[in-house]
Amino acid sequence: MANNKKIRNFSIIAHIDHGKSTLADRLLEETGAVAKRDMEEQVLDNMDLERERGITIKARAVRLDYKADNGEDYIFNLIDTPGHVDFNYEVSRSLNACEGALLVVDATQGIEAQTLANAYLAVDAGLEIVPVINKIDLPSADIERCRNEIEDIIGIPAEDCPAVSAKVGLNIHDVLEAVVRDIPNPEGDPDAPLRALIFDSYYDSYLGVVVYIRIIDGTLRTGDKIKLMSTGAVFEVTAVGSMEAFGLKPRGELSVGEVGYLTASIKNISDTRVGDTVTLADEPASEALPGFKAVQPMVFAGIYPEDGSRYEDLREALLKLQLNDAALTFEPETSTALGFGFRCGFLGLLHMEIIEERLEREFNLDLITTAPSVIYEVKTKDGEMRRIDNPTDYPQPDEIDVAYEPIVKANIITPQEYVGTLMDLCQDRRGVFKDMKYLDNIRVELHYELPLNEIIYNFFDALKSRSRGYASLDYEMYEYRASKLCRLDILLNGDQVDALSFIVHEEKAYARARKIAERLKENIPRQLFEIPIQAAIGARIIARETVKAMRKDVLAKCYGGDITRKKKLLEKQKEGKKKMRKLGSVQVSPEAFMSVLKLGDDN
Amino acid sequence: MFGKKKRKPLGLYIHIPFCKSKCDYCDFCSLVPNNKGIVEHYTDALILQMEDWSSRCRKHTIDSIYIGGGTPTYLDIRRISRIIDAIYTNFKVEKSAEFTVECNPATADLEYFRKLRRAGVNRLSIGCQSAHPEELKALGRIHNYDQFVACFNDARRAGFDNISVDLMYGIPNQTEQSFIESLTAVTSLGPDHISIYALKIEEGTPFHAMRDKLVLPDEETEYSMYSHAVDYLAAQGYERYEISNFCRKGAASLHNLKYWHCDEYLGLGASAHSYFEDERFATTCVVRDYIDGLEIIGSDINIVASSEKIDSAKCMEEYVMLGMRLTDGIFIEDFEARFNTSFNEKYGVRLDEYVEAGFVEKDDRGYRFTTNGMFVSNYILSAVLDLE
Repeated sequence: MANNKKIRNFSIIAHIDHGKSTLADRLLEETGAVAKRDMEEQVLDNMDLERERGITIKARAVRLDYKADNGEDYIFNLIDTPGHVDFNYEVSRSLNACEGALLVVDATQGIEAQTLANAYLAVDAGLEIVPVINKIDLPSADIERCRNEIEDIIGIPAEDCPAVSAKVGLNIHDVLEAVVRDIPNPEGDPDAPLRALIFDSYYDSYLGVVVYIRIIDGTLRTGDKIKLMSTGAVFEVTAVGSMEAFGLKPRGELSVGEVGYLTASIKNISDTRVGDTVTLADEPASEALPGFKAVQPMVFAGIYPEDGSRYEDLREALLKLQLNDAALTFEPETSTALGFGFRCGFLGLLHMEIIEERLEREFNLDLITTAPSVIYEVKTKDGEMRRIDNPTDYPQPDEIDVAYEPIVKANIITPQEYVGTLMDLCQDRRGVFKDMKYLDNIRVELHYELPLNEIIYNFFDALKSRSRGYASLDYEMYEYRASKLCRLDILLNGDQVDALSFIVHEEKAYARARKIAERLKENIPRQLFEIPIQAAIGARIIARETVKAMRKDVLAKCYGGDITRKKKLLEKQKEGKKKMRKLGSVQVSPEAFMSVLKLGDDN
Repeated sequence: MFGKKKRKPLGLYIHIPFCKSKCDYCDFCSLVPNNKGIVEHYTDALILQMEDWSSRCRKHTIDSIYIGGGTPTYLDIRRISRIIDAIYTNFKVEKSAEFTVECNPATADLEYFRKLRRAGVNRLSIGCQSAHPEELKALGRIHNYDQFVACFNDARRAGFDNISVDLMYGIPNQTEQSFIESLTAVTSLGPDHISIYALKIEEGTPFHAMRDKLVLPDEETEYSMYSHAVDYLAAQGYERYEISNFCRKGAASLHNLKYWHCDEYLGLGASAHSYFEDERFATTCVVRDYIDGLEIIGSDINIVASSEKIDSAKCMEEYVMLGMRLTDGIFIEDFEARFNTSFNEKYGVRLDEYVEAGFVEKDDRGYRFTTNGMFVSNYILSAVLDLE
């Protein structure tokens, strides 16, 4: 049994791109868990996508052995967490498995929205925060300013905090010593009934679900019968052990304070929900650990194969992704425009993008994705309350008593020169201003309540472009609020295209309708007849454009006897037509759909 | 006559890849020689190629000859006469054969035309393109309209009673009005045949490189130009027999009709295309390679740039693709006699979709495009043909 006085469980938290994963790499190297020559960048980020985007999608954990300057041997459990707002819940559960957190701050950027959001999460979880100032090798690094910010804004001492360059490996040793010195060892009752917190899991085709846990009380051994407290499901443990840099290492038992994994022939990742408590079936704990909630998708979109015959492939691919991603939901959906596809639920836009990208990349699928939607709540006139995640299901205007939309609390940090334009943006996106405060003499923190459907409508891109990339955003779900919403339908040649319908606030309807009609006009190729494009609320047409009939598509050139060339031209044209979707009598290319979905980036 | 009726008719195309200067829109095989040596070598090579093909065409009679380019009249009269003589020496040419030479204004004079006429050439095709100096300049043409008129009159004086003139629409800065003016001017000379081609910006041309700066007439304007031309020329007694070709009664180009009817033709010279014994093939468009290939081994086997066997299914597709370019369209009887397959079952049903909207016309004899249909014929054909 490990001596829990010698255990340090900690996370690394940071704003995106502040160097969290690089620091983790250096800690692995410095403790000898990974030899320098085996070092790949971002060891903990296994997915190609994570490495490319420089983000951590899933939480990871690794055990490191460290001999401190005081001569003692320590066990470090480093838990890497996702840095993005979409994965906030996962972050909070990972933090609950720790006693401390390294808060990485980029010495050239200072504190950003996610630095703060993550720091608050860590404080809420009762963690000891150890600031680490990173990127001090860069010429624009300002360590002193950074220390001051950490002290003034977050309110924790930073006078002696390590200042490092994870990239070049400078002062990493200081970080390890700070972990030993400043982060408390885990406590807990070794004799109490087992309580272990699930902070992550993944599916392995040989082992079944591998569950990452932190033992809060008691001990877990191979062969134990465990019970998952949220569902009551019982399993027999086939192995417990620790996560080493290059794989799992069975250890026979995990005792109080330790971080490790268990396998128990669990087939379904949805059985092992992040935040759930593992206890022993025969000697259960009386109370589960606090804070568990089932993750709910917040953003929904229809995903369709561009080639209708690949519907089954898409289903297989989604099932495979779901094996490792309990937050991804999907159910079959049919669109007259796009054929068979799936209504998919995501934690947020980033999550959605990642899933789309993985489907296209790992499963070689070409997709058409409908505009993302949130869940609306509609009280109909007959008193029924409906939750709507698909615009197609939105009731007609005369059936609606009250409609509610989700509102988030948004926290924006920006250099003060962009405050004006960002306030305009929030205003334009129906934001309600709450307050504003100066973090220092340069940066300002803005608090707004914003409708989530405005956030998913390219808000982040607009924020970045208006602030030249300097502003950062963080948000959390707040409440449902009554709102004047309506469904905007698009008609091509008089036929409604279900996949293009979306829900919008009344005030925004006209502008959005006009823009969509224009975009479609630009992107629908001319055909033999004129195509009216209309945008309608109920029966009321609020915008109209026309794709004029094609007048000239002919080879009126002398190619002599070169017939092959003429034929090639027609073949190419036929190829192009094959990609088109026939909507009623109108041919629409996938690009036309995309153009509408990518709407709104012109600020 | 005995023996003659057993011979198969064959069109002969000869490519002359030289020009005084290269037009900015042109992507045909042509170059501006920097010395006369290459021209002489090319003439020799062409004659070698004719000698090589001579034995393979024993069963054929040439019933149309077309010398095109480039600018065939870039050749001096001595060289072009050598080529013409070689044709008669190496192939059996029908007395009544249509014999066309392409020419550009300011490259041939009355004397030149007289000699051509005497050598058996009976049809000229003159590239005029436009009557407007600024449009000619925009195209990079080296002649002006007066030179064209002089050229046309010389040709008539030399005894050519079958002259075709090329015009273009879709020229940078061209307006509907300026096009009509060109059309009216050219028609007033009374040519026997008029070809009206649309300017197409082809990759690799100077026009393609500067395409963003070119002010081209839009689709709507081009449509008006074309439909105006159809109406105007009809009133002047010219019938449209193919998408781009108009003629006085009986003056349709027999050689061009071979292309649209899927009849056989042999193309000699660099970049020339052939359809011969169920195969389509083309020689290299690199003039130097062409010359070397023939000079070294006296045969064109090494300079074939592409070839494709045309089986009956492919031929059927081509027959519809090309036949629908003709005003007469496709006669079901001809189609079925040639392919032994029902036209209506395969193509008729697909073309029927366009009848009601007025793009296609049909009757008991066959199918054809209307004027509106011709103008969107690529769109319709790419849907109607299998193209696999």
